[in-house]
Amino acid sequence: MFDIILRNLSQRKIRTALTIFGIGLGIFAVIVMGSMSENFNQTFETSFALTADKIRVFGSSGVFGGSVTTSKAAEVRKVPGVHDAYGLLMAPLEEGGGMSFGGNQVIGLPPEKSNTVLGPVQVKEGRDLVRGDRYVTVIGSSIATQYDIGVGDRIEIQDKYFTVVGELEYTGSFFDASAAIPLDIAQDVYDMGNMVSMIFAIPEEGVDGDLLAKRIKLSVDGVDTLSPSELEEEAKQGLMIFSVITVSAAVLAAIIGGLSVMNTMLMSVMERTKEFGILKAMGAERRDILLMTVGEAAIMGLLGGLLGLACGWVAVFGINLWLAEKGIVLFLITPRLVAIAMLFAILLGTLSGIYPALRATGMSPMEALRYE
Amino acid sequence: MNDAEPDIILQTRNLKETYMQGKVPIHALQGVDLEVRRGELVSIVGPSGSGKSTLLSIIGMLEIPTEGSVFIDGIEVTGVKAKEIPRLRREKIGFVFQHFNLLPALTALGNVEIAMRFARVHKKERIKRAREVLTEMGLGERLNHKPSEMSGGEQQRVSIARALANRPAIILADEPTGEVDTKTRDLIIGILRRLSDGGQTVIIVTHDPWVAERTDRVITLVDGRVEDS
Repeated sequence: MFDIILRNLSQRKIRTALTIFGIGLGIFAVIVMGSMSENFNQTFETSFALTADKIRVFGSSGVFGGSVTTSKAAEVRKVPGVHDAYGLLMAPLEEGGGMSFGGNQVIGLPPEKSNTVLGPVQVKEGRDLVRGDRYVTVIGSSIATQYDIGVGDRIEIQDKYFTVVGELEYTGSFFDASAAIPLDIAQDVYDMGNMVSMIFAIPEEGVDGDLLAKRIKLSVDGVDTLSPSELEEEAKQGLMIFSVITVSAAVLAAIIGGLSVMNTMLMSVMERTKEFGILKAMGAERRDILLMTVGEAAIMGLLGGLLGLACGWVAVFGINLWLAEKGIVLFLITPRLVAIAMLFAILLGTLSGIYPALRATGMSPMEALRYE
Repeated sequence: MNDAEPDIILQTRNLKETYMQGKVPIHALQGVDLEVRRGELVSIVGPSGSGKSTLLSIIGMLEIPTEGSVFIDGIEVTGVKAKEIPRLRREKIGFVFQHFNLLPALTALGNVEIAMRFARVHKKERIKRAREVLTEMGLGERLNHKPSEMSGGEQQRVSIARALANRPAIILADEPTGEVDTKTRDLIIGILRRLSDGGQTVIIVTHDPWVAERTDRVITLVDGRVEDS
């Protein structure tokens, strides 16, 4: 049956090619948009995994909005169950740059805590920050690539020059786009007095993070907390909305491709009305006609999927290569994305072929034979 | 099962077919009773609109009669379930059409072989059988030619080979010589006669008295009734 299907497809080369192109375009959109979403998902998951044990403590004026003073860290540290607590100042690296997802940032941290904050990430070259450090920095791999700097080089932050003493390995997390500097220096260059963006509280071993977060909130005045599970939930909701928007746009494009398959198959079935009559007269069964018609649509879906995957891969690879100079990774094609895109393409083709196939099987053989 | 004699391969009983043309009922068949013996070469003749093609379609299970029964090889084909029809059609009927109705994209071999696919015959066996019947039709050298590369006579012989592929009980030929010249007509009728002499039952619908004269028996239909047989 497969040879008949291929023969039928090759009978109308241009129409088949255009339909495959239509599906391919849709799957291309699924791959590009989906890989962007996958990249953000992976960055979040890696970032979260690297800081999953820490409770965020903010000023009570709002999450990510209210700053707290360094002295609050000492109060948090006194809460039973807290192993350690220290303030962090997060600020954009480039002037005018925002704290956007994927943007470069400066992390001001107590140098003696450098190993704890950056701990999950290996220092590829050089060293961590240590007590007594001043205008020095440990940079992430994306910053190293983007600024083309390494250990011993200097980087300008807020009109001050910092010497790179360490470079972190690539992790696919926000650490890649971070430059760690001593907290007091960060507060000074960003003119923040003794304010910090948040306090990281590390629970003692065996202490439940969610319960401890509540205890900190109740014990320390003027602070709000975000436990690891709350952070995960909030971030996942944000990522979900992003994924829904990007993937919906791509799915819409693919559905338009599917409609083109249906249109092609309806035309093909109409043109082959007499042929179906002949086949039925020869004893073809309903399943033979269904298989023949749906098979054609499914193969167009498969070929369109492969075309979209190949073009999407080339586009994603090209853009990532171009952005690599800027230290940015925007797309990530995962096996999961490839599987979903291909399954979607084949399903789309198959489903689009069902209605034309039912029309073909529903024809009266006598009427089909009389059709001119 | 019918109570006909064992060598009766086709029997119709009180076959009626009525269809609507707008709001007007058309009585295409008005109680056709006929019998055809195994190996007989029968022609059905009659003026246009007499119901010849309708009768052929009902015998071929392409249409369901309004009333009456058709027995083929002892089986009441008008009484079987719809999903059984394709199998019975494959086993009992081989069609030969006036306009050949070959699939243009397939070669002669492909056109004959495809008929056996639906009978789930193994590929090797299909090719072997298709070669045999095409060679029997004198087309051994034209196996890989497409219909567009063949004459009308050759195309009709491919059509006959296709009808024979599944070794059916009856071959139904609807105006098989309507589209060919007289020389080819003689050839086609010669083949059908030879098949009949070999035991194959053949029923031909024709307008051509020359063709009818060369069959064993002529059944004349007028206004949906058998006038003479």
